[in-house]
Amino acid sequence: MNLKIEQHQVDGVPVISPRGRIMFGDEANTLRDTLKEILNSSPRIVLNLSEVTYMDSGGLGTLVGVYSSARAKGADIKLTGLGHRIRDVLQTTKLATVFQVYESEEQAVAALRAGAA
Amino acid sequence: MALHPITGSASSPGSGIFPTLVFVQGNEQRTLNLDHTPFTVGRKVDKDLVIADPRVSRDHALIAAENGEFFVIDQGSKHGTFVNGERIQRKNLERNDRVEFGVRDVSYVIFHPHHATSNTAREFLSQISGIHISTETTDLEKLTLFLEAARKLNTTGVLDEILVTLLEATLKLTRAERGYVFMKGEDGNLRLAAGRNSKGEPLLDDKTMSHSILEDALKSNSEFVLTDTSRSLDLAGRHSIVAYDLRTVICIPLRKPQVQATRGEGAPAPAQNSGEVMGALYVDSRFASRDISSVSNDILRAIATEAASLIENARLVQAEEAARRYQQELSIAASIQQGLMAVAIPDVPFAHVKGRNLSCKEIGGDFFDAVITEHGLAVVLADVSGKGVSAALLANTLQGMIYSQLAAGMPLTEIVTAANRFFTHKHIGEKYATMIIARIQRDGELEYVNCGHVPPLLVCNREVIRPRHGNLPVGLLPDATYESDHYNLHPGDRLILVTDGVTEAENARGDFFEDHRLEAVAAKGASMEGIFAAVADFCGGNPLNDDCTVVELAYTG
Repeated sequence: MNLKIEQHQVDGVPVISPRGRIMFGDEANTLRDTLKEILNSSPRIVLNLSEVTYMDSGGLGTLVGVYSSARAKGADIKLTGLGHRIRDVLQTTKLATVFQVYESEEQAVAALRAGAA
Repeated sequence: MALHPITGSASSPGSGIFPTLVFVQGNEQRTLNLDHTPFTVGRKVDKDLVIADPRVSRDHALIAAENGEFFVIDQGSKHGTFVNGERIQRKNLERNDRVEFGVRDVSYVIFHPHHATSNTAREFLSQISGIHISTETTDLEKLTLFLEAARKLNTTGVLDEILVTLLEATLKLTRAERGYVFMKGEDGNLRLAAGRNSKGEPLLDDKTMSHSILEDALKSNSEFVLTDTSRSLDLAGRHSIVAYDLRTVICIPLRKPQVQATRGEGAPAPAQNSGEVMGALYVDSRFASRDISSVSNDILRAIATEAASLIENARLVQAEEAARRYQQELSIAASIQQGLMAVAIPDVPFAHVKGRNLSCKEIGGDFFDAVITEHGLAVVLADVSGKGVSAALLANTLQGMIYSQLAAGMPLTEIVTAANRFFTHKHIGEKYATMIIARIQRDGELEYVNCGHVPPLLVCNREVIRPRHGNLPVGLLPDATYESDHYNLHPGDRLILVTDGVTEAENARGDFFEDHRLEAVAAKGASMEGIFAAVADFCGGNPLNDDCTVVELAYTG
């Protein structure tokens, strides 16, 4: 598997940073399971994609799936660290309008905290 | 599933009629049939078993039969004959006894009364029923437990069940409080595969066991390591033993059985036990609980040898089954895909359509189609996310839906809205499709709807236009809305549709083909064939990660 998932906290908000490729199969499944588990204990998270080198259609589907089911349950995921490739994919698929994307972890965390207040 | 389909992976082949001796020397192991007695052992070349080591006497020992029993008799050797570590003059041999001749640890012989190590659960059953257990009252119980375990093993093929059964049997046999099985992963690290306490309840947490003893056992050459903390002085730094009050720890490394016996004495090999370590079996008891340090060595040795070959067999069966399923799935997906790609291109006077798909190893969910409608000629190119049978089936459904609605003359935006509703309503999960449906009329009026797909290429007089218009993919969000885009084509203009397998085709350096290369090729006037040639040229020999499909619609007027 070409994916490692790291986690740290910024102002008490979990920031999840996958590293490597998010592909259909093991990688996407691991990411989904990890995010779901974290969302169970903390409904507001930031997903930093700056270390993601590639994401295929299965990876994108997973991301959208987790995102929409989180929203449906009242949870929230903010994205940050989008490289040009993932930006292109979100642009092509018009999903850029679906996700809430921020320039930095701090901005994403601030937006979550403002929303939570 | 039974374990018997696997044959020929014997750990040590034997005749099955004569008792056997498994002679282990360093990394080498061979099986000798005790087909005559006395069977002689020594350094002299005329011995039945010649051990070329100065510590072995020329006439060292012999094995004789008496009243159906076998005895090892020392012939006055200088360095002695040992059975299970004890120096003997004459001793009857029991199953799995370890006999050493002068040389300790480097080479030894294991005695098997009837036949060689078993491969199947059935043989396991017959073999363990012959285990000699001393005459305590619990022995019958122990034997029954083993028989029960073996019978269970014969009817299950799943590795996990084998591990749990093995664990339960080991717990009952050793009367330990709890036990764990660890298996080595692909990364070489041990991971917890099963854990049970003596009540049969699953244990998921291995934090309170002694990992240091586990590691020591794996590094050692022993068949098993029994640590009695009340007798051992060298426990400094063994945190868990103190913290969790561990009294006795038994650890059995599970080594891969050796596939073949090696001939010849050869050069003295390093003093290592055979086979690569696959995992470990660990049981322990606390001070507050019963003492398990007196558990019979016979039992531990039997568990060590049988468990490893059982697990190896279970793994082989499992791997074979997985490979068979994978092949089966691959051929199902391939046949579905062949159907998807068997497109009858309709003949219209004002346009030509060409389409082709290059499949990667794992079948993907690309498909294209061309349909005559009352409003002109429509082409469809879609890429269903994921791979394998599920993607191919979804592609099949989608193709059918779109075909029927195009034929019925439905507006393009309604077709994709209906498809989106269908997929999100059916909760296909995270399966979705990106696609383009384009329809060209006789007068050159082109309407197309792009649902999250790679933008099309409009080639007009060697000028390449990439319209950025687009919508969300089909099947991701239930409330998505869709809009179409329009162009007027002139005779000679072409519309080229590709899947992302083309733009994301990768070369050995990890570069992608990308949009700019695609546009450059199209600007040179390349047709569908030209694009495939350029991709192949770019990738070199690098295999495709994803299906590549290209559809070309040329308006002739």
